[in-house]
Amino acid sequence: MKRFNVIAILTDLHLWVPVAVLILGTMLLMTLR
Amino acid sequence: MSDSPAPAYLHSTLSLHKLGVFCGLAAAVWLGTAEAPTKLVNSGFSPFIISMGMVMGAFVARWTVPTLLKGTGFLFQDLHNKPHLIVWALLAGMLWAVANTLTIFAVRNVGLAIAFPLWNTNSLVGLFWGWLLFKELRGSGVKGWAKVLGGAFAIVGGAAILAVATARQSDTPGKAAIGIIAALGAGVLLGTMYIPYRKAYISGMNPLSFVTIFTFGELGTVFLLTAINVGGTSNLFAELHRARPMLFWPFLGGFCWVIGDLFQNFAAKYIGIGRGIPLSNTNQLWGLAWGALVFAEFTGLTTTGKVLILTGSGIMIAGAIAISMADPGTSELVNWKCAMDRECDRYSLNKDQVSAVVAGDDPQAGQPHQRRWWEVLIMCTAVGVFVWLALGTKSQHLAVSMPWMIVLVIGTVLPLGICGTLLWRRTRFS
Repeated sequence: MKRFNVIAILTDLHLWVPVAVLILGTMLLMTLR
Repeated sequence: MSDSPAPAYLHSTLSLHKLGVFCGLAAAVWLGTAEAPTKLVNSGFSPFIISMGMVMGAFVARWTVPTLLKGTGFLFQDLHNKPHLIVWALLAGMLWAVANTLTIFAVRNVGLAIAFPLWNTNSLVGLFWGWLLFKELRGSGVKGWAKVLGGAFAIVGGAAILAVATARQSDTPGKAAIGIIAALGAGVLLGTMYIPYRKAYISGMNPLSFVTIFTFGELGTVFLLTAINVGGTSNLFAELHRARPMLFWPFLGGFCWVIGDLFQNFAAKYIGIGRGIPLSNTNQLWGLAWGALVFAEFTGLTTTGKVLILTGSGIMIAGAIAISMADPGTSELVNWKCAMDRECDRYSLNKDQVSAVVAGDDPQAGQPHQRRWWEVLIMCTAVGVFVWLALGTKSQHLAVSMPWMIVLVIGTVLPLGICGTLLWRRTRFS
């Protein structure tokens, strides 16, 4: 993958919204166990 | 963007909105049917193991169906053209896995009647993300908003009524707060999972390529979470070995799930997540039909229960009709194009090419792709796994209504044939 594409991915809001939800969801799951 | 006329070679003038609506409804049929085989699983197995079996079946099917339809050459070419989307496909699979595990906790703690409507709000979460991040419904006017939002709320409301009418609550333990939080969390995760879906499709990715990668994120995360929940990998393998005589059923459920999931992905591509996901969430109606007609699960239901089922089903169908009639207008399509242009500019994609793919006319789709020897191997392995599991399979001794089963099997296969043909004629599965 080209370098500029990596930067485009890392600065994309569309990435961080699902990542944040995934982290919070995993934390919730671990808390509920 | 969405409803440009079809090229002549595609032999169909069906609008993409209608195609997407058909896909959403076919998705509901197959996602609902996926519940039926798991009813044949004998009791005494952990829900984590049943879920793991279903995901393993889905993994097999998610490689096989795309290979059968398009060939690995097409899939690899598609992934090579948009490699950045691999990240989102994996992410979507991981989100699904965590959400699915949360639903198990939710059902354990508050029962299906409360849990199901709560996590079914995922369509509203998806609708919100579609509006915020992908400009869905922007410029659609009051009528468009009323049809889509009203339809989505009606489907969630209908789901709530059906769940209350059909679930047995007597074994509900007291940990209500935990169950409610888990169900709401699952709804948010599932709704957020549609962000990667929509992003992939407005970037011109083929749904078949997307699910091929999605399944790695899904299986990897489910494996990890199941291992944690059953006390380590050795326990997990021991449980899977013990479950060997019933594994065929969740595998079969996983296979049906993949067919439904593929239609859901095509719906998300052609009508967006705001419209496509609520339509496919009517799957509860089909699950209900299997339970009531084939497995006679609701014999002895009170009159109030029957009235609630009819009311919930009616509201859900009304919601689906409202969304089906909500074609995106010109001003909304302009907004959809803006969202597509954003992806093209950000990731240096060819706008003309992406625009054609988004309109169901993938230039690659019309070209013949050479079949490879390993595709035969993939097909044989998949069939072999299913045959091996089917041999020596045991099922729960349930009374099954054969006439209704035949009717529902026909009612399940027909949408597959009709919708598959429509997709092929209009888009060549692009």
